[in-house]
Amino acid sequence: MKNRILLIAMLITMLFSLTACGEEQADADTIVLRVSNWEEYIDLGDWDEEEVIDIDDDNNIFGENSMVEDYEEWFYDTYGKKVKVEYSTFGTNEELYNQLTIGDSYDLVCPSEYMIMKMMREDMLVPFSSDFYNQDIKTNYYAKGVSPYIKNVYDELAIEGQSISKYAAGYMWGTLGLVYNPLEVSDEEASHWDLMLNKKFDKRITVKDSVRDAFFAAITYGSYDEITSSEFISSDDYKARLTEVLNRTDVDTVNYVEDILTQIKNNVYSFETDSGKADMVTGKVVANEQWSGDAVYTMDQADEDDVTLCYSVPTEGSNLWFDGWVMLKDGIANDADKQLAAESFINFVSMPENAVRNMYYIGYTSVIAGGDSDLIFNYMDWNYGVDPEEEEYVEYNVSYFYGGEDGDEDYTIYTSPDQTKRQLYAQYPPKDVVNRSVVMACFDDESNSRINRMWTNVRCFDLKSLLD
Amino acid sequence: MFKFDRKQLAIPYAIFLVLFVILPLLVVIYYGFTDADGHLSFDNLVFFFSSSKTIGTLLYSLVIAVVVTVICLLMAYPVALILAKGVYSRKHSFLMVFVLPMWINFTLRITALKEILTLLEGNLAYHQFANTIICMVYDFLPFMIMPLFNSLTKLDDSMIEAGRDLGATSFQTLIKIILPLSVPGIISGITMVFLPAMTNYVVLDMVYNSTYIMGSLIGSYFSSYDWNNGSIISAILLILIGLFTIITNRLAGDGERRVS
Repeated sequence: MKNRILLIAMLITMLFSLTACGEEQADADTIVLRVSNWEEYIDLGDWDEEEVIDIDDDNNIFGENSMVEDYEEWFYDTYGKKVKVEYSTFGTNEELYNQLTIGDSYDLVCPSEYMIMKMMREDMLVPFSSDFYNQDIKTNYYAKGVSPYIKNVYDELAIEGQSISKYAAGYMWGTLGLVYNPLEVSDEEASHWDLMLNKKFDKRITVKDSVRDAFFAAITYGSYDEITSSEFISSDDYKARLTEVLNRTDVDTVNYVEDILTQIKNNVYSFETDSGKADMVTGKVVANEQWSGDAVYTMDQADEDDVTLCYSVPTEGSNLWFDGWVMLKDGIANDADKQLAAESFINFVSMPENAVRNMYYIGYTSVIAGGDSDLIFNYMDWNYGVDPEEEEYVEYNVSYFYGGEDGDEDYTIYTSPDQTKRQLYAQYPPKDVVNRSVVMACFDDESNSRINRMWTNVRCFDLKSLLD
Repeated sequence: MFKFDRKQLAIPYAIFLVLFVILPLLVVIYYGFTDADGHLSFDNLVFFFSSSKTIGTLLYSLVIAVVVTVICLLMAYPVALILAKGVYSRKHSFLMVFVLPMWINFTLRITALKEILTLLEGNLAYHQFANTIICMVYDFLPFMIMPLFNSLTKLDDSMIEAGRDLGATSFQTLIKIILPLSVPGIISGITMVFLPAMTNYVVLDMVYNSTYIMGSLIGSYFSSYDWNNGSIISAILLILIGLFTIITNRLAGDGERRVS
């Protein structure tokens, strides 16, 4: 009997020692920062030689090492302390939340705005230290560099009376729209959400397999008459009203959306999680609902195969989304060093040259406008600008993003006409696009379960359809 | 001091069984019969059987599973029979050819098959159900061939010879002798194919079939933090498969045990 117990004990110790082997023994004075971010959402370095971004002679940007390694080095140089980043990734906001509820521990994570709000509501987050937004401190790159426009949206977006700025610093942002093949779909057809129900493109369009994105497209389509009436558009509180309409979750609205989504399901090629990008390039589908960053990636891929794709944000309205860094109470646990490391990580990725590296690597748009540095604007110009004396050009103004007056010439670039509906348009949408795009807030639990049930209904095989 | 006993060899598996089979099962049952606040509740069960959508999903999955299993069986049996009883001297090499696809990751295989189907059909979305069946059959066929082959190889040839001696035609030999004796293989093949066919929603995703089957329904509940409804469906599936196994075993004849 004794022997058996001994054997079991041995096996159990073996089991545990096996798992322990994987973890590196860190020095006692090394700060361990556990970061969880979206998959493929940060520069991993190792660029090809010819990929160097030569914006001007002084500024050659090149991702030699990964962003995380560079951060560890920078932190040691700046603060004289060692930091070790344990970097992991997640696939969806829900997956991250589930990981946290089953006991995974992180210090710094990067969910979307609605998940940030949910975490705030559940008191899972640590507020930034008091001087995080102090622009006089040299290393506060986020406070100095964040786009005034984004800062404003963060300040105004609140849950239970608390602005999300208190807990969250932006990372990437964008819109929700439609990538389409201009040879098959006209610009006009692609400029409305009803494209998904257009019989002309029966089974040739994909929609995101995500309840929130599908819901948003359907409700915007369903509210078309209301939100495009001239009275509605010209009202003083247009944005607030639009936000209210597109965030409705009452029973009638959800039932109505269920009808629309059922029709959409019957008309589209499929609800897809990741196949949409490739299927656009191969021509299996002619249009595809996508986030702006993925749209840039898809268009870039297609360009390599000599296929031209465009991106449109429907004129009736769209979704404005943000992914932001938040610190978790459970991980930080009042450890001042850890909080310093977490905040400085945010600041490090917010340095203009690092924002450019990340943008170049992943195709999404950083919330960083650069502050005193022109680098971000110059990167945009380097990427999309044309020489007005040699090529056909249009003026493209994004002064709102950099905090300039409307139409400020300093923030106008000369670009080729097709860029106004391609990568540039997706990466830095013009002012009218952001004006008609609203944030989809975090719903309460009751609305959430109503919407999830609605989505299940749409996707299940309905027994009643056999009786018809 | 340390006396080795053969029984101790079973300890690793016993630990595995408790940690990864019995405990998770208890957790599933606990969640299935509680509500979000952790109180005992049968609402999840009642909800499942009162919605035409969830019942519809169950039916849809069952139809897929039955069709896939039947096609697999009809295709695999002749192959297994020829391989096992044919005159080929290298039957194991031939078997390899049929089982080889199992060595390649299944998403990779389906991606390839998808391209072939696209060439044949044009737009895959018009034939979602048929494509689902084709891909699943392709995927699960080796799991049907293997047990059939094993049970047919073990079949005693003297039984067949005896049948022949007594004047049975080839057809009669097949129906009255070979088929009944290979029932254990058939059952094990069916159980290997039926359950995965009911729940493997990755295949459906890959061939653009946006209708949920049982597996995707469970996944959708779990991703919206609804552990309770997801668990009850897992429990229902478990019971269904249990019933299915018991029934097929009964049909296989009293007292006959699976041999493969």
